[in-house]
Amino acid sequence: MKTLSPEEARQHLLAEEKAAICVEGSIDLRQTKLSSIACRLQCNDLDLSGTPIESLPKSLKVRSRLTLDNCTSLQRLPKGLTCGSLSLRGCVFIDRLPEQLSTWFLNASGCPRLSSWPKEATIRNGNVNLRNCVEIRELPGWLGPLGQLDLGGCVNLHALPEGLQVSGWIDIGGSGIQSLPKSLANSPLRWRSVPITHQIAFEPDKITAKQVLDERNAELRRVMIERMGYLKFANDVEAKELDRDTDAGGQRQLLKIDIDEDEPLVGLVCNCPSTNRQYFLRVPPQMQTCHQAAAWMAGFDDPKRYRPVIET
Amino acid sequence: MDRRELVFMDSTSNKFWRIELNGDSHTVTFGRAGTDGQSKTKTFADADAAKKDYDKLISAKLKKGYVDADSASAATGEDADALPVLAFRSILKEDDVGHNAKTFIGKRIADYDPNKKPTAGGKTVYRFRSDWDSQDCVPNLKHFLETDAAREAVGIVIGNWTGDDTGTDPSEVIELLCQNSKRLAALKAIYLGDIISEECEMSWIQQSDIGPLLKAFPNLELLRTRGGENLKIGHLKHDNLRGLICESGGLRAEVVRQIGRSKFPALEHLELWLGTDEYGGDSSVEDLQPILSGDLFPQLKYLGLRNCDFVDDIAAVIVNSPLIQRIETLDLSLGVLTDEGGRALLSLPTDGTLQHVNLHFNYMTNDVIKELKKLPLKMDLSKPSHMDQDDEWRFVAVGE
Repeated sequence: MKTLSPEEARQHLLAEEKAAICVEGSIDLRQTKLSSIACRLQCNDLDLSGTPIESLPKSLKVRSRLTLDNCTSLQRLPKGLTCGSLSLRGCVFIDRLPEQLSTWFLNASGCPRLSSWPKEATIRNGNVNLRNCVEIRELPGWLGPLGQLDLGGCVNLHALPEGLQVSGWIDIGGSGIQSLPKSLANSPLRWRSVPITHQIAFEPDKITAKQVLDERNAELRRVMIERMGYLKFANDVEAKELDRDTDAGGQRQLLKIDIDEDEPLVGLVCNCPSTNRQYFLRVPPQMQTCHQAAAWMAGFDDPKRYRPVIET
Repeated sequence: MDRRELVFMDSTSNKFWRIELNGDSHTVTFGRAGTDGQSKTKTFADADAAKKDYDKLISAKLKKGYVDADSASAATGEDADALPVLAFRSILKEDDVGHNAKTFIGKRIADYDPNKKPTAGGKTVYRFRSDWDSQDCVPNLKHFLETDAAREAVGIVIGNWTGDDTGTDPSEVIELLCQNSKRLAALKAIYLGDIISEECEMSWIQQSDIGPLLKAFPNLELLRTRGGENLKIGHLKHDNLRGLICESGGLRAEVVRQIGRSKFPALEHLELWLGTDEYGGDSSVEDLQPILSGDLFPQLKYLGLRNCDFVDDIAAVIVNSPLIQRIETLDLSLGVLTDEGGRALLSLPTDGTLQHVNLHFNYMTNDVIKELKKLPLKMDLSKPSHMDQDDEWRFVAVGE
């Protein structure tokens, strides 16, 4: 096996040479046209982000970081893949992880098709990021212990395995998770990166408008309102009515709530004629009428030009 | 009679503290290492009260960073010449960043004066530095290299090499040292960059490739550098290096990765000041994985990941790592450690080799500090009195 410098290795790989090579260091092939690795390769770090790579050879050995972000043609990873950290952000074609995968860190955020876990694999000690992996429906029992676990936007994930250990935070923002196993009962929680309490996460009904208004942190305040529901919040604080009219769904209202050290919260409350549900839709604070707010939502800065033939 | 002898070393001092319990009284003796020190005896109402105070004083000293004189980190080996790993300590407290070092590897530092004959026997470590109005660093070093004392020098400190021109890197100094490696036959420790913010902010210091030093000095045991800009370790193999310290306001990910593929089998003390991305510190916890896996440095006793703005992420990962099972000291001080990281540290192993945890300069609340205090580990949870406790803005200790 020939030892090459990272730059020589880069040229070797781009020229699709067949001779096996070993590299002490990081090979950067980001945004190149590389679609396959033609030789046996050993290196410390390999970055193939944004390449049209379709698969990786089983002989590939990356000791530390393997980065495959936005490799949109990548469909399969080799069985037994072992590395220190594996990043698959935005690999939209990937639907499964390989059997006997072994890594400390996994970042699969924005992999919308990822749905099945290997029967046997090792992902432990590091962090797992599954942000917006909408097809993930469960986590495997072999997972962990982990440092941090990001499940934000995993809408179809409703429960975590009993016994899972996470020493740092768990982000459950916008996921389907409504309770935690005993092993995670004291874990710090986040909601799309904002640290939150267990009450905000799992007992949103108990959040009071006063609690929201007393909260000094603007990000946390927004999460609290999102959790309790804009409509309930608007009702509880007795929001000021700026305007009222009727549309296809019935009566609409434009409501305003003043918040200390933040811009006022202004929203259009309307009924949807199709679903018959009531919504609170936040609009810019300078909106004066319901019609103006509806026009803004449809993309019209000048409300006079917004004349819908029919609203459904 | 109970007796305990503790020692302390860092950039400013090398001292001992001994306590002897004798019935209803105890005697404390303390002073600079190598001296007899001074003694104070205190008598109590009864033996129980004396014992209680004895335990309390020892516990307080241990929290301050003292270690047992006969512990592994203070051991000087069979030939008393060997440097204990404790002597590799850089600075302990945030305040010390603002002062030039007074000691190095436990020895007194003196600025080199070409008009005075340097002391023989390697007892003094000489510092070579330029001022804003005098470019003395290199000429003085050249002068020293011609003396007999150079052959006995165990440590060398390079201070500000640039004078008032902050754009210069130390490659000339490095070259000079390397060319004279035969002459510097006893050299075991180099501190390249004893520079304080008054002379040059840490993030302005221009470093360079320190690999040639590792190549030219096969018997080097400690290499300590300050400044992250352009720092590179171009030679990643050394059989005898026991301590590596890279202080910075921001350490490049590539440097962390270089260390992650290095071959330093004798390394006992690894200290990285990871800094913030505003000053070039673009590493992340993933880059530390080769170090934390425990495969890399079988002799490691001290791991310092300091002055780091993502230390919470490190805390969450390090508690599960194989490495934490076999080091003695974990140092996560000077960074932005908050309650999230502090809670993760509650699962540090307490039944292994880990004894000391330095979390000085942290942003944890009293609730979490109280929980951490319950762990049977010697923890420094102190905060500088001037520390800004604003909960919206949090900075590492050195980030200007």
